[in-house]
Amino acid sequence: MARSRESEMNGAPPHILVVDDGITMRMFYRSVLEAAGFMVEEATNGMEGYEKVLAQPFDLMIVDINMPKMDGYSMIRTIRNDPAVRMIPAVVVSTEAAAKDSARALEAGANFYLVKPVAPEDLTEVVRMIVGVAA
Amino acid sequence: MAALFATRQKDPSPAMTDEEYAKFCEFFYRKTGIQFQAGKKYFVDRRVADRIEKTCSESFRDYFTMVRFQVTGEELQFLVNAMTVNETYFFREDYQFDALIGGILPEVARSKRRNEPIRIWSIPCSSGEEPYSIAISILERWSQADSWNIEISASDIDSKILHEARTGLFGERSVSRVSAQLRSKYFLPRPDGSFQICDELRESIDFSLVNVVNPLHTHRFRDIDVIFCRNLLIYFDDVGRRETVEMFFDALSPGGFVCLGHSESMSRMSSIFLPRKFGETIVYQKPLSAE
Amino acid sequence: MVLVKAGGQRTLVLAEPSRDPAVLLADLSAAEPSVRRAAARDLAPHPEAAMALCDRLEVEASPSVRAVLLTSLIHLQSPTVAMRLASLLRSDDVPLRNAAIEALQEMPDAVAPHLRDLLADEDSDVRIFAVNILGALRHGQAPQWLTDVVRSDPHINVCAAAVDGLAEIGGPETLIDLEALRRRYEGNPFMEFAIDAAMRRIRGH
Ligand SMILES: C[S@@+](CC[C@H](N)C(=O)[O-])C[C@H]1O[C@@H](n2cnc3c(N)ncnc32)[C@H](O)[C@@H]1O
Repeated sequence: MARSRESEMNGAPPHILVVDDGITMRMFYRSVLEAAGFMVEEATNGMEGYEKVLAQPFDLMIVDINMPKMDGYSMIRTIRNDPAVRMIPAVVVSTEAAAKDSARALEAGANFYLVKPVAPEDLTEVVRMIVGVAA
Repeated sequence: MAALFATRQKDPSPAMTDEEYAKFCEFFYRKTGIQFQAGKKYFVDRRVADRIEKTCSESFRDYFTMVRFQVTGEELQFLVNAMTVNETYFFREDYQFDALIGGILPEVARSKRRNEPIRIWSIPCSSGEEPYSIAISILERWSQADSWNIEISASDIDSKILHEARTGLFGERSVSRVSAQLRSKYFLPRPDGSFQICDELRESIDFSLVNVVNPLHTHRFRDIDVIFCRNLLIYFDDVGRRETVEMFFDALSPGGFVCLGHSESMSRMSSIFLPRKFGETIVYQKPLSAE
Repeated sequence: MVLVKAGGQRTLVLAEPSRDPAVLLADLSAAEPSVRRAAARDLAPHPEAAMALCDRLEVEASPSVRAVLLTSLIHLQSPTVAMRLASLLRSDDVPLRNAAIEALQEMPDAVAPHLRDLLADEDSDVRIFAVNILGALRHGQAPQWLTDVVRSDPHINVCAAAVDGLAEIGGPETLIDLEALRRRYEGNPFMEFAIDAAMRRIRGH
């Protein structure tokens, strides 16, 4: 998958948005992804996530499912329906391993599906693959 | 009385016990939606003490009984006027007026019939700087302004501040962000250094006393296209915020907009509006196919 | 001048005769969402309508009507209302179950009697939701209940959710249990990270 124009053009590290209502979860994502050289922005629910996406360009978003105000599926669906930002790749992370939920994530427009708890190396692998950076 | 007043000034003993304070806050919250944080006791106590004195009440208990049961609600209004924080000035958070002119109004105009007015509601308006800033922005900067009728309503819970808004007399601090050119066009300088807003603006805005959490006050607001609700919801709790923005949903036309203050994000209040970006600011839209 | 004065109907605030609850109940299933919203809002002072609001919530498809139904249920909160909302935690409707969680967080006393059952549910996701409710509940017992979860819940994600809650509301007395949990998940990078982060926050740095 190609990296978005933004980071590629100005040579800045890829920008990742993590959307999760759990504070330790967000801190974990930040620590793992920053160590791997990415820039990280946080949002605490789907609606705040969508606002951040409107406000600045991202190369990838990592999205929890169960959140207040706007859940992860609704957030991704909303973004897929907005021509200005629809292309941002999305990884859904959830506690629900059931097949029906990964089907639902894909239907909402997610590109990948991870199950909690996420191993740091899986996270960086998936992110690197999507934004197209070599390790 | 004078002697008593003097000693109070020096060494203010609290008007309310902690228990009374809690009761008072609960009552005031139910009436206005305003929630006092724990650290506000001194602020509240001083103002209540002042009202106790002005009404010559014997004690907090007597005063509180009067406030709760007085038929006219007159003392409650005095109390509200004393408790509100009215801080405001012209062109405050003006990036939202940029969004109004550059994005919101053109979009509203696209889906509206010419003979219908565009309706804007500034709530809370405090001493009027916000609705007057909206009016001036539209007159000065919206190229289509001449082809539309535009109604600006402005409301606040504080009757005293509304009176000031209607009067339209402003101090130097309040107009500090107004350019010399706009000052000479819309204001009349007065010998005491204050500025009188011109009658045309004064008379074009419909000021009204509205408590945003009282459905009896708000139900007449319908088919509004843009609501400015800035620096009010910071004083409310989660449930009050929810109720207020749900009321806005009913007051708005489909596709109508809500503009909040910069420290107030809809993403902490409700999910029934959709964020929209205009320039550098995010505003919230009632879905066009509202349901 | 293009500005025209609104008004016409001035602010004469006449007390609207309060509407007949029977009419409001019927309006809950009206075709127009705005009518349903008005009915849901105006039923907020009527405790006897609480179950009808719960019934409507289960079938209501419009997000804005749902939101108003839940706001009214927060006003009418009771253990029975909380139980009805808790049953939605098992719903397949993701927005609905998350909205129910948020509403339950606003009713500490009403939801408290059900928390023990929810925390013992066999579905680990329901237990996670119960922990999420606890984390945001303004209830004196909440930190203690979260500590109990950390001590005894066998599921890693339930414990992780509890650690998250404790990071926000836990006091120094919970540190011992967090240390024990850290030993239990020794070698799991996420859990080690989350527990260390929570303990740092509780210690205040
Ligand atoms: C800080 S001013 C904001 C004025 C203006 N919107 C601005 O941003 O500059 C807050 C105003 O909210 C008003 N207010 C407080 N509670 C209210 C309520 N329940 N209904 C309507 N207005 C209220 C106060 O009287 C005060 O004038």
